[in-house]
Amino acid sequence: MRIDVDNLSFGYDYRTVLKNISFTLQSGDFLVLIGNNGSGKSTLVKCLLGINKVPEGKIYLDGQDIHNFKDWLRVGYVPQKFDDFNYEFPITVNEILNVTKFSKVDNDQKLQLLDRMGILKLQNENINELSGGQLQRVFITRALMNNPKLLILDEPTAGVDQENVIGFYRIVNDLNAEGVTIILVSHDTKGSKTNMSHIMNLDEGRAKYINVCDLDFQEESE
Amino acid sequence: MEEVLIATSFLRAIIERSFMQHALITGVLIGVLAPLVGSFVVIKRLSLIADTLSHFSLAGLSIGLFFINILGLPLGDPLYIGMVFAVIGALLIEALRSYYKNYKEISMPIVISLGTALSALFISLSGGFNTSIFNYLFGSILTVSRQFVYIIIVLTSVILVLVAAFYKQIVIISFDESYAKLLGIRVGLFQFFSTVILALIVSLSIETVGVLLVSSLMIIPVAAAMKVGKSFKSTVLIAILFSEISVLMGLWLSFIFSIPSGATIVLFNIIILLSVVISRKIIGTWLIKEKNPETMRSSLPHKKDAT
Repeated sequence: MRIDVDNLSFGYDYRTVLKNISFTLQSGDFLVLIGNNGSGKSTLVKCLLGINKVPEGKIYLDGQDIHNFKDWLRVGYVPQKFDDFNYEFPITVNEILNVTKFSKVDNDQKLQLLDRMGILKLQNENINELSGGQLQRVFITRALMNNPKLLILDEPTAGVDQENVIGFYRIVNDLNAEGVTIILVSHDTKGSKTNMSHIMNLDEGRAKYINVCDLDFQEESE
Repeated sequence: MEEVLIATSFLRAIIERSFMQHALITGVLIGVLAPLVGSFVVIKRLSLIADTLSHFSLAGLSIGLFFINILGLPLGDPLYIGMVFAVIGALLIEALRSYYKNYKEISMPIVISLGTALSALFISLSGGFNTSIFNYLFGSILTVSRQFVYIIIVLTSVILVLVAAFYKQIVIISFDESYAKLLGIRVGLFQFFSTVILALIVSLSIETVGVLLVSSLMIIPVAAAMKVGKSFKSTVLIAILFSEISVLMGLWLSFIFSIPSGATIVLFNIIILLSVVISRKIIGTWLIKEKNPETMRSSLPHKKDAT
Protein backbone atom coordinates (compact mmCIF):
# COMPACT_ATOMS: atom_id res chain seq x y z
CA MET A 1 0.00 0.00 0.00
CA ARG A 2 1.31 3.45 -0.93
CA ILE A 3 1.23 6.14 1.75
CA ASP A 4 1.52 9.90 1.16
CA VAL A 5 1.69 12.29 4.09
CA ASP A 6 1.69 15.94 3.09
CA ASN A 7 2.72 18.63 5.56
CA LEU A 8 0.83 17.07 8.47
CA SER A 9 0.55 18.92 11.76
CA PHE A 10 -1.53 17.56 14.60
CA GLY A 11 -2.12 18.39 18.26
CA TYR A 12 -4.34 17.80 21.24
CA ASP A 13 -6.13 20.85 22.69
CA TYR A 14 -3.47 23.61 22.67
CA ARG A 15 -0.43 21.33 22.35
CA THR A 16 1.00 20.64 18.89
CA VAL A 17 2.47 17.13 18.78
CA LEU A 18 3.32 16.68 15.08
CA LYS A 19 4.83 19.56 13.07
CA ASN A 20 4.84 19.65 9.25
CA ILE A 21 5.46 15.94 8.67
CA SER A 22 5.78 14.91 5.01
CA PHE A 23 6.83 11.56 3.59
CA THR A 24 5.94 8.99 0.95
CA LEU A 25 6.12 5.23 1.19
CA GLN A 26 5.72 3.00 -1.85
CA SER A 27 4.10 -0.46 -1.69
CA GLY A 28 6.56 -2.86 -0.07
CA ASP A 29 8.56 -0.16 1.75
CA PHE A 30 9.60 -0.70 5.35
CA LEU A 31 9.65 2.37 7.60
CA VAL A 32 11.08 2.26 11.09
CA LEU A 33 9.75 5.12 13.20
CA ILE A 34 12.03 6.00 16.08
CA GLY A 35 12.07 8.68 18.76
CA ASN A 36 11.96 9.23 22.48
CA ASN A 37 8.86 8.93 24.63
CA GLY A 38 6.44 11.75 23.83
CA SER A 39 8.07 12.49 20.47
CA GLY A 40 4.79 11.86 18.63
CA LYS A 41 5.29 8.31 17.30
CA SER A 42 2.00 6.90 18.56
CA THR A 43 0.17 10.10 17.55
CA LEU A 44 1.43 9.72 13.98
CA VAL A 45 0.35 6.06 13.97
CA LYS A 46 -3.15 7.04 15.17
CA CYS A 47 -3.33 9.62 12.36
CA LEU A 48 -2.40 6.95 9.80
CA LEU A 49 -5.04 4.61 11.24
CA GLY A 50 -7.73 7.29 11.03
CA ILE A 51 -8.20 7.31 14.83
CA ASN A 52 -6.89 10.88 15.06
CA LYS A 53 -8.93 12.95 12.64
CA VAL A 54 -6.65 15.01 10.41
CA PRO A 55 -7.71 17.77 7.96
CA GLU A 56 -8.49 16.69 4.39
CA GLY A 57 -5.59 16.47 1.98
CA LYS A 58 -2.99 15.51 4.56
CA ILE A 59 -2.85 11.71 4.36
CA TYR A 60 -3.46 9.54 1.30
CA LEU A 61 -3.62 5.73 1.42
CA ASP A 62 -3.26 4.12 -2.00
CA GLY A 63 -3.93 7.53 -3.55
CA GLN A 64 -7.20 8.06 -1.62
CA ASP A 65 -7.68 10.79 0.93
CA ILE A 66 -7.88 9.06 4.33
CA HIS A 67 -11.35 10.63 4.81
CA ASN A 68 -12.66 8.66 1.83
CA PHE A 69 -10.58 5.53 2.41
CA LYS A 70 -12.82 2.48 2.95
CA ASP A 71 -10.51 -0.54 2.64
CA TRP A 72 -9.51 -0.66 6.32
CA LEU A 73 -9.51 -4.46 6.29
CA ARG A 74 -6.25 -4.19 4.34
CA VAL A 75 -4.60 -2.33 7.21
CA GLY A 76 -3.26 -4.55 10.00
CA TYR A 77 -2.35 -3.04 13.35
CA VAL A 78 -0.61 -4.42 16.42
CA PRO A 79 -0.98 -1.97 19.32
CA GLN A 80 1.77 -1.10 21.77
CA LYS A 81 -0.20 -2.54 24.67
CA PHE A 82 -3.22 -4.77 24.66
CA ASP A 83 -4.99 -2.69 27.31
CA ASP A 84 -7.93 -2.01 25.00
CA PHE A 85 -8.73 -5.72 24.98
CA ASN A 86 -11.20 -6.78 27.69
CA TYR A 87 -9.43 -9.70 29.35
CA GLU A 88 -10.67 -12.22 31.88
CA PHE A 89 -13.81 -13.21 30.01
CA PRO A 90 -12.92 -16.57 28.42
CA ILE A 91 -12.21 -16.54 24.67
CA THR A 92 -9.94 -18.84 22.69
CA VAL A 93 -7.28 -17.85 20.16
CA ASN A 94 -9.40 -19.41 17.41
CA GLU A 95 -12.48 -17.42 18.41
CA ILE A 96 -10.55 -14.14 18.32
CA LEU A 97 -9.20 -14.91 14.87
CA ASN A 98 -12.56 -16.09 13.51
CA VAL A 99 -14.43 -12.95 14.56
CA THR A 100 -11.65 -10.76 13.14
CA LYS A 101 -11.70 -12.49 9.75
CA PHE A 102 -13.82 -10.63 7.24
CA SER A 103 -11.87 -11.43 4.08
CA LYS A 104 -11.83 -14.66 2.10
CA VAL A 105 -9.15 -16.27 4.23
CA ASP A 106 -9.98 -19.97 4.42
CA ASN A 107 -9.33 -22.25 7.36
CA ASP A 108 -6.16 -23.74 5.83
CA GLN A 109 -4.65 -20.26 5.42
CA LYS A 110 -5.52 -19.48 9.01
CA LEU A 111 -3.85 -22.69 10.22
CA GLN A 112 -0.75 -21.90 8.11
CA LEU A 113 -0.59 -18.46 9.68
CA LEU A 114 -0.87 -19.92 13.18
CA ASP A 115 1.86 -22.42 12.33
CA ARG A 116 4.08 -19.68 10.95
CA MET A 117 3.62 -17.73 14.19
CA GLY A 118 4.40 -20.82 16.24
CA ILE A 119 1.04 -20.84 18.00
CA LEU A 120 -0.77 -23.60 16.12
CA LYS A 121 -0.99 -25.71 19.29
CA LEU A 122 -2.52 -22.80 21.18
CA GLN A 123 -5.49 -22.28 18.87
CA ASN A 124 -8.01 -23.73 21.32
CA GLU A 125 -6.46 -22.19 24.43
CA ASN A 126 -8.18 -19.52 26.47
CA ILE A 127 -6.11 -16.34 25.96
CA ASN A 128 -6.13 -15.67 29.70
CA GLU A 129 -3.81 -18.65 30.07
CA LEU A 130 -1.18 -17.43 27.58
CA SER A 131 2.12 -15.76 28.38
CA GLY A 132 2.93 -12.21 27.22
CA GLY A 133 5.02 -13.44 24.28
CA GLN A 134 2.34 -15.89 23.14
CA LEU A 135 -0.30 -13.20 23.44
CA GLN A 136 1.75 -10.83 21.32
CA ARG A 137 1.94 -13.45 18.55
CA VAL A 138 -1.84 -13.94 18.76
CA PHE A 139 -2.40 -10.22 18.19
CA ILE A 140 0.07 -10.16 15.29
CA THR A 141 -1.82 -13.10 13.76
CA ARG A 142 -5.05 -11.16 14.29
CA ALA A 143 -3.55 -8.23 12.37
CA LEU A 144 -2.76 -10.59 9.48
CA MET A 145 -6.19 -12.25 9.27
CA ASN A 146 -7.44 -10.09 6.40
CA ASN A 147 -4.29 -10.23 4.22
CA PRO A 148 -3.18 -6.65 4.99
CA LYS A 149 -1.30 -4.54 2.45
CA LEU A 150 -0.11 -2.27 5.26
CA LEU A 151 1.02 -3.52 8.66
CA ILE A 152 1.59 -1.02 11.47
CA LEU A 153 3.42 -2.36 14.53
CA ASP A 154 3.63 -0.09 17.57
CA GLU A 155 6.61 -1.26 19.67
CA PRO A 156 5.56 -4.87 19.22
CA THR A 157 8.53 -6.47 20.97
CA ALA A 158 8.32 -4.55 24.24
CA GLY A 159 8.56 -7.10 27.06
CA VAL A 160 9.20 -10.04 24.75
CA ASP A 161 12.25 -12.29 25.24
CA GLN A 162 15.15 -12.21 22.74
CA GLU A 163 14.34 -15.56 21.14
CA ASN A 164 10.79 -14.47 20.36
CA VAL A 165 12.03 -11.06 19.13
CA ILE A 166 14.30 -12.71 16.55
CA GLY A 167 11.47 -14.98 15.39
CA PHE A 168 9.13 -12.02 15.22
CA TYR A 169 11.43 -9.93 12.97
CA ARG A 170 11.94 -12.93 10.71
CA ILE A 171 8.18 -13.06 10.15
CA VAL A 172 7.93 -9.30 9.60
CA ASN A 173 10.78 -9.41 7.07
CA ASP A 174 9.08 -12.26 5.22
CA LEU A 175 5.82 -10.34 5.04
CA ASN A 176 7.67 -7.29 3.74
CA ALA A 177 9.39 -9.45 1.13
CA GLU A 178 5.90 -10.53 0.01
CA GLY A 179 5.05 -6.86 -0.70
CA VAL A 180 3.38 -5.77 2.54
CA THR A 181 4.22 -2.16 3.49
CA ILE A 182 5.47 -2.11 7.07
CA ILE A 183 5.60 0.73 9.59
CA LEU A 184 7.42 -0.34 12.72
CA VAL A 185 7.48 1.95 15.74
CA SER A 186 10.53 1.41 17.92
CA HIS A 187 12.62 3.21 20.52
CA ASP A 188 15.73 2.65 18.41
CA THR A 189 16.95 0.73 15.40
CA LYS A 190 19.63 -1.29 17.14
CA GLY A 191 17.44 -4.24 18.08
CA SER A 192 15.51 -4.21 14.81
CA LYS A 193 16.94 -6.84 12.53
CA THR A 194 14.69 -5.72 9.75
CA ASN A 195 14.64 -5.10 6.02
CA MET A 196 14.04 -1.41 6.74
CA SER A 197 14.12 0.85 3.72
CA HIS A 198 13.40 4.10 5.54
CA ILE A 199 13.91 5.52 9.01
CA MET A 200 12.07 8.46 10.47
CA ASN A 201 13.41 9.97 13.66
CA LEU A 202 10.75 12.02 15.40
CA ASP A 203 12.06 14.67 17.74
CA GLU A 204 9.50 16.87 19.48
CA GLY A 205 7.08 16.37 16.62
CA ARG A 206 9.54 17.19 13.85
CA ALA A 207 10.76 14.46 11.52
CA LYS A 208 14.20 13.64 10.27
CA TYR A 209 13.52 11.34 7.37
CA ILE A 210 16.22 9.04 6.06
CA ASN A 211 16.07 6.78 3.07
CA VAL A 212 18.23 3.80 3.98
CA CYS A 213 18.76 2.95 0.33
CA ASP A 214 20.40 6.34 -0.28
CA LEU A 215 22.32 6.82 2.94
CA ASP A 216 24.73 4.79 4.95
CA PHE A 217 22.31 3.70 7.64
CA GLN A 218 24.91 2.31 10.03
CA GLU A 219 26.62 5.69 10.32
CA GLU A 220 23.36 7.55 10.71
CA SER A 221 22.05 5.34 13.44
CA GLU A 222 25.21 5.37 15.55
CA MET B 1 -43.36 -40.62 47.42
CA GLU B 2 -44.34 -37.14 48.55
CA GLU B 3 -41.72 -35.58 46.23
CA VAL B 4 -43.13 -37.50 43.27
CA LEU B 5 -46.61 -36.19 44.07
CA ILE B 6 -45.31 -32.61 44.29
CA ALA B 7 -43.45 -32.96 40.99
CA THR B 8 -46.54 -34.48 39.38
CA SER B 9 -48.77 -31.68 40.66
CA PHE B 10 -46.27 -29.09 39.32
CA LEU B 11 -46.30 -30.75 35.90
CA ARG B 12 -50.08 -31.05 35.97
CA ALA B 13 -50.34 -27.34 36.80
CA ILE B 14 -48.17 -26.52 33.80
CA ILE B 15 -50.26 -28.69 31.50
CA GLU B 16 -53.64 -27.60 32.81
CA ARG B 17 -53.27 -23.97 33.82
CA SER B 18 -52.55 -21.28 31.27
CA PHE B 19 -50.96 -18.89 33.81
CA MET B 20 -48.35 -21.58 34.58
CA GLN B 21 -47.67 -22.06 30.87
CA HIS B 22 -47.23 -18.31 30.43
CA ALA B 23 -44.88 -18.20 33.42
CA LEU B 24 -42.85 -21.13 32.12
CA ILE B 25 -42.50 -19.75 28.57
CA THR B 26 -41.62 -16.26 29.86
CA GLY B 27 -39.11 -17.65 32.36
CA VAL B 28 -37.42 -19.94 29.86
CA LEU B 29 -37.12 -17.23 27.17
CA ILE B 30 -35.88 -14.56 29.60
CA GLY B 31 -33.54 -17.26 30.91
CA VAL B 32 -31.96 -17.39 27.43
CA LEU B 33 -32.02 -13.67 26.62
CA ALA B 34 -30.78 -12.23 29.92
CA PRO B 35 -27.46 -14.14 30.19
CA LEU B 36 -26.89 -13.95 26.41
CA VAL B 37 -27.06 -10.16 26.40
CA GLY B 38 -25.59 -10.08 29.92
CA SER B 39 -22.40 -11.72 28.62
CA PHE B 40 -21.70 -8.77 26.32
CA VAL B 41 -22.57 -6.35 29.14
CA VAL B 42 -20.10 -8.08 31.49
CA ILE B 43 -17.31 -8.13 28.86
CA LYS B 44 -17.70 -4.37 28.38
CA ARG B 45 -17.67 -3.89 32.17
CA LEU B 46 -21.09 -2.26 32.08
CA SER B 47 -22.74 -4.48 34.70
CA LEU B 48 -24.49 -1.51 36.31
CA ILE B 49 -26.34 -0.60 33.12
CA ALA B 50 -29.13 -3.16 33.70
CA ASP B 51 -29.81 -1.76 37.16
CA THR B 52 -29.82 1.78 35.79
CA LEU B 53 -32.28 0.91 33.04
CA SER B 54 -34.58 -1.05 35.35
CA HIS B 55 -34.79 1.93 37.72
CA PHE B 56 -35.54 4.25 34.81
CA SER B 57 -38.14 1.78 33.60
CA LEU B 58 -39.76 1.90 37.07
CA ALA B 59 -40.18 5.66 36.53
CA GLY B 60 -42.18 4.85 33.37
CA LEU B 61 -44.25 2.25 35.20
CA SER B 62 -45.02 4.72 38.03
CA ILE B 63 -45.95 7.47 35.58
CA GLY B 64 -48.09 4.95 33.69
CA LEU B 65 -49.90 3.92 36.88
CA PHE B 66 -50.47 7.59 37.74
CA PHE B 67 -51.96 8.39 34.32
CA ILE B 68 -54.07 5.23 34.20
CA ASN B 69 -55.24 4.92 37.82
CA ILE B 70 -55.42 8.56 38.95
CA LEU B 71 -56.12 10.50 35.75
CA GLY B 72 -58.05 7.66 34.14
CA LEU B 73 -56.30 7.84 30.77
CA PRO B 74 -56.70 4.72 28.59
CA LEU B 75 -53.00 3.97 28.08
CA GLY B 76 -53.19 0.15 28.34
CA ASP B 77 -50.65 -1.79 30.37
CA PRO B 78 -48.15 0.44 32.26
CA LEU B 79 -45.49 -2.09 31.25
CA TYR B 80 -45.41 -0.59 27.73
CA ILE B 81 -44.76 2.86 29.20
CA GLY B 82 -42.00 1.21 31.25
CA MET B 83 -40.52 -0.18 28.02
CA VAL B 84 -40.58 3.26 26.40
CA PHE B 85 -38.87 4.74 29.46
CA ALA B 86 -36.21 2.02 29.46
CA VAL B 87 -35.38 2.95 25.85
CA ILE B 88 -35.34 6.68 26.74
CA GLY B 89 -33.01 5.84 29.67
CA ALA B 90 -30.75 3.90 27.31
CA LEU B 91 -30.54 6.83 24.89
CA LEU B 92 -29.86 9.18 27.78
CA ILE B 93 -26.98 6.96 28.94
CA GLU B 94 -25.50 6.92 25.42
CA ALA B 95 -25.82 10.71 25.15
CA LEU B 96 -24.13 11.24 28.52
CA ARG B 97 -21.39 8.73 27.66
CA SER B 98 -20.59 10.75 24.52
CA TYR B 99 -20.74 14.05 26.43
CA TYR B 100 -18.42 12.89 29.24
CA LYS B 101 -15.99 10.97 27.02
CA ASN B 102 -13.36 10.45 29.73
CA TYR B 103 -15.83 9.86 32.58
CA LYS B 104 -18.37 7.62 30.87
CA GLU B 105 -19.43 5.92 34.13
CA ILE B 106 -20.94 9.24 35.29
CA SER B 107 -23.93 8.50 33.04
CA MET B 108 -25.16 5.64 35.28
CA PRO B 109 -25.67 7.49 38.59
CA ILE B 110 -27.24 10.46 36.77
CA VAL B 111 -29.82 8.28 34.99
CA ILE B 112 -30.45 6.04 38.02
CA SER B 113 -30.99 9.12 40.21
CA LEU B 114 -33.43 10.65 37.74
CA GLY B 115 -35.32 7.35 37.43
CA THR B 116 -35.53 6.83 41.19
CA ALA B 117 -36.62 10.43 41.83
CA LEU B 118 -39.37 10.24 39.18
CA SER B 119 -40.48 6.86 40.55
CA ALA B 120 -40.69 8.16 44.14
CA LEU B 121 -42.64 11.22 42.97
CA PHE B 122 -45.23 9.38 40.87
CA ILE B 123 -45.61 6.45 43.31
CA SER B 124 -46.49 9.05 45.93
CA LEU B 125 -48.88 10.86 43.56
CA SER B 126 -50.52 7.51 42.74
CA GLY B 127 -51.35 6.96 46.40
CA GLY B 128 -48.20 5.25 47.64
CA PHE B 129 -47.20 1.57 47.52
CA ASN B 130 -49.82 -0.88 46.33
CA THR B 131 -49.87 -4.39 44.86
CA SER B 132 -48.95 -3.20 41.35
CA ILE B 133 -45.87 -1.34 42.55
CA PHE B 134 -44.87 -4.29 44.76
CA ASN B 135 -45.18 -6.62 41.72
CA TYR B 136 -43.02 -4.30 39.61
CA LEU B 137 -40.39 -4.13 42.32
CA PHE B 138 -40.15 -7.87 42.97
CA GLY B 139 -41.70 -9.46 39.88
CA SER B 140 -44.88 -11.43 39.30
CA ILE B 141 -44.16 -14.03 36.67
CA LEU B 142 -47.33 -15.96 37.51
CA THR B 143 -49.50 -13.04 36.36
CA VAL B 144 -48.07 -12.46 32.86
CA SER B 145 -50.66 -12.16 30.11
CA ARG B 146 -50.87 -14.10 26.85
CA GLN B 147 -50.15 -10.87 24.95
CA PHE B 148 -46.96 -10.42 26.98
CA VAL B 149 -45.89 -13.97 26.12
CA TYR B 150 -46.31 -13.18 22.40
CA ILE B 151 -44.13 -10.07 22.80
CA ILE B 152 -41.44 -12.11 24.55
CA ILE B 153 -41.51 -14.77 21.81
CA VAL B 154 -41.18 -12.16 19.03
CA LEU B 155 -38.42 -10.24 20.84
CA THR B 156 -36.45 -13.42 21.60
CA SER B 157 -36.66 -14.51 17.95
CA VAL B 158 -35.57 -11.07 16.67
CA ILE B 159 -32.64 -10.85 19.12
CA LEU B 160 -31.42 -14.38 18.38
CA VAL B 161 -31.49 -13.64 14.63
CA LEU B 162 -29.64 -10.33 15.14
CA VAL B 163 -26.97 -11.94 17.35
CA ALA B 164 -26.45 -14.72 14.79
CA ALA B 165 -26.30 -12.25 11.88
CA PHE B 166 -23.89 -9.81 13.54
CA TYR B 167 -22.06 -12.24 15.81
CA LYS B 168 -18.57 -11.21 14.63
CA GLN B 169 -19.20 -7.49 14.94
CA ILE B 170 -20.83 -7.80 18.38
CA VAL B 171 -17.99 -9.95 19.77
CA ILE B 172 -15.23 -7.66 18.41
CA ILE B 173 -16.94 -4.52 19.71
CA SER B 174 -17.41 -6.13 23.13
CA PHE B 175 -13.83 -7.33 23.48
CA ASP B 176 -11.92 -4.61 21.65
CA GLU B 177 -13.82 -1.49 20.59
CA SER B 178 -10.72 0.24 19.19
CA TYR B 179 -9.89 -2.68 16.92
CA ALA B 180 -13.52 -2.88 15.76
CA LYS B 181 -13.26 0.76 14.64
CA LEU B 182 -10.06 -0.05 12.75
CA LEU B 183 -11.85 -2.83 10.90
CA GLY B 184 -14.36 -0.23 9.68
CA ILE B 185 -17.23 -1.50 11.87
CA ARG B 186 -19.76 1.23 12.71
CA VAL B 187 -19.28 0.89 16.45
CA GLY B 188 -21.57 3.81 17.38
CA LEU B 189 -24.50 2.38 15.40
CA PHE B 190 -24.04 -1.10 16.89
CA GLN B 191 -23.81 0.33 20.39
CA PHE B 192 -26.96 2.35 19.89
CA PHE B 193 -29.01 -0.69 18.83
CA SER B 194 -27.40 -2.90 21.52
CA THR B 195 -28.42 -0.43 24.22
CA VAL B 196 -31.98 -0.19 22.89
CA ILE B 197 -32.26 -4.00 22.80
CA LEU B 198 -30.82 -4.18 26.31
CA ALA B 199 -33.44 -1.68 27.48
CA LEU B 200 -36.24 -3.80 26.00
CA ILE B 201 -34.93 -6.97 27.65
CA VAL B 202 -34.57 -5.21 30.99
CA SER B 203 -38.11 -3.86 30.88
CA LEU B 204 -39.51 -7.27 29.91
CA SER B 205 -37.48 -9.02 32.63
CA ILE B 206 -39.20 -6.85 35.23
CA GLU B 207 -42.22 -9.17 34.96
CA THR B 208 -40.01 -12.12 35.91
CA VAL B 209 -37.96 -10.90 38.86
CA GLY B 210 -38.86 -7.24 39.30
CA VAL B 211 -36.99 -3.95 39.01
CA LEU B 212 -34.74 -4.58 42.00
CA LEU B 213 -33.53 -7.98 40.81
CA VAL B 214 -33.39 -7.60 37.00
CA SER B 215 -29.62 -7.17 36.75
CA SER B 216 -29.10 -10.40 38.72
CA LEU B 217 -30.65 -12.39 35.84
CA MET B 218 -28.14 -10.87 33.44
CA ILE B 219 -25.03 -10.82 35.56
CA ILE B 220 -25.00 -13.70 38.10
CA PRO B 221 -25.22 -16.65 35.66
CA VAL B 222 -22.47 -15.01 33.56
CA ALA B 223 -20.30 -14.42 36.64
CA ALA B 224 -20.57 -18.13 37.49
CA ALA B 225 -20.03 -19.31 33.89
CA MET B 226 -16.89 -17.16 33.49
CA LYS B 227 -15.17 -19.34 36.08
CA VAL B 228 -16.11 -22.57 34.30
CA GLY B 229 -16.06 -21.85 30.55
CA LYS B 230 -12.92 -22.31 28.47
CA SER B 231 -14.12 -20.48 25.36
CA PHE B 232 -16.49 -17.60 24.64
CA LYS B 233 -19.24 -19.82 23.20
CA SER B 234 -19.02 -22.41 25.97
CA THR B 235 -19.15 -19.66 28.61
CA VAL B 236 -22.30 -18.12 27.12
CA LEU B 237 -23.94 -21.56 26.83
CA ILE B 238 -23.05 -22.44 30.43
CA ALA B 239 -24.46 -19.06 31.58
CA ILE B 240 -27.73 -19.85 29.76
CA LEU B 241 -27.76 -23.34 31.34
CA PHE B 242 -27.26 -21.90 34.85
CA SER B 243 -29.94 -19.32 34.18
CA GLU B 244 -32.45 -21.95 32.99
CA ILE B 245 -31.75 -24.18 36.01
CA SER B 246 -32.42 -21.17 38.26
CA VAL B 247 -35.63 -20.23 36.45
CA LEU B 248 -37.04 -23.77 36.52
CA MET B 249 -35.98 -24.46 40.10
CA GLY B 250 -37.25 -21.03 41.16
CA LEU B 251 -40.65 -21.65 39.57
CA TRP B 252 -40.87 -25.12 41.06
CA LEU B 253 -39.88 -24.06 44.58
CA SER B 254 -42.20 -21.07 44.50
CA PHE B 255 -45.03 -23.40 43.43
CA ILE B 256 -44.32 -25.89 46.23
CA PHE B 257 -43.77 -23.43 49.08
CA SER B 258 -45.93 -20.53 47.80
CA ILE B 259 -42.99 -18.12 47.95
CA PRO B 260 -42.13 -15.26 45.53
CA SER B 261 -40.79 -16.74 42.27
CA GLY B 262 -38.51 -13.77 41.42
CA ALA B 263 -36.64 -13.91 44.70
CA THR B 264 -36.36 -17.72 44.47
CA ILE B 265 -34.91 -17.54 40.95
CA VAL B 266 -32.30 -14.99 42.02
CA LEU B 267 -31.39 -16.91 45.19
CA PHE B 268 -30.94 -20.09 43.14
CA ASN B 269 -28.61 -18.12 40.82
CA ILE B 270 -26.60 -17.10 43.88
CA ILE B 271 -26.44 -20.72 45.11
CA ILE B 272 -25.01 -21.78 41.72
CA LEU B 273 -22.47 -18.94 41.80
CA LEU B 274 -21.34 -19.87 45.32
CA SER B 275 -21.10 -23.55 44.38
CA VAL B 276 -18.90 -22.69 41.39
CA VAL B 277 -16.62 -20.39 43.39
CA ILE B 278 -16.22 -22.84 46.30
CA SER B 279 -15.72 -25.93 44.11
CA ARG B 280 -13.13 -24.11 41.99
CA LYS B 281 -11.28 -23.09 45.13
CA ILE B 282 -11.27 -26.68 46.43
CA ILE B 283 -10.27 -28.21 43.07
CA GLY B 284 -7.57 -25.55 42.53
CA THR B 285 -6.00 -26.18 45.94
CA TRP B 286 -6.15 -29.94 45.39
CA LEU B 287 -4.52 -29.69 41.94
CA ILE B 288 -1.61 -27.57 43.23
CA LYS B 289 -1.14 -29.98 46.11
CA GLU B 290 -1.16 -32.99 43.77
CA LYS B 291 1.24 -31.52 41.21
CA ASN B 292 3.79 -29.96 43.48
CA PRO B 293 3.29 -29.92 47.23
CA GLU B 294 6.30 -27.62 47.74
CA THR B 295 4.73 -24.78 45.78
CA MET B 296 1.99 -24.66 48.41
CA ARG B 297 4.41 -22.78 50.63
CA SER B 298 5.43 -20.15 48.09
CA SER B 299 3.22 -17.75 46.20
CA LEU B 300 2.73 -18.48 42.53
CA PRO B 301 3.73 -15.85 39.93
CA HIS B 302 1.00 -14.59 37.63
CA LYS B 303 1.06 -16.33 34.28
CA LYS B 304 1.07 -13.08 32.35
CA ASP B 305 4.39 -12.10 33.91
CA ALA B 306 6.15 -14.95 32.18
CA THR B 307 6.96 -14.68 28.49
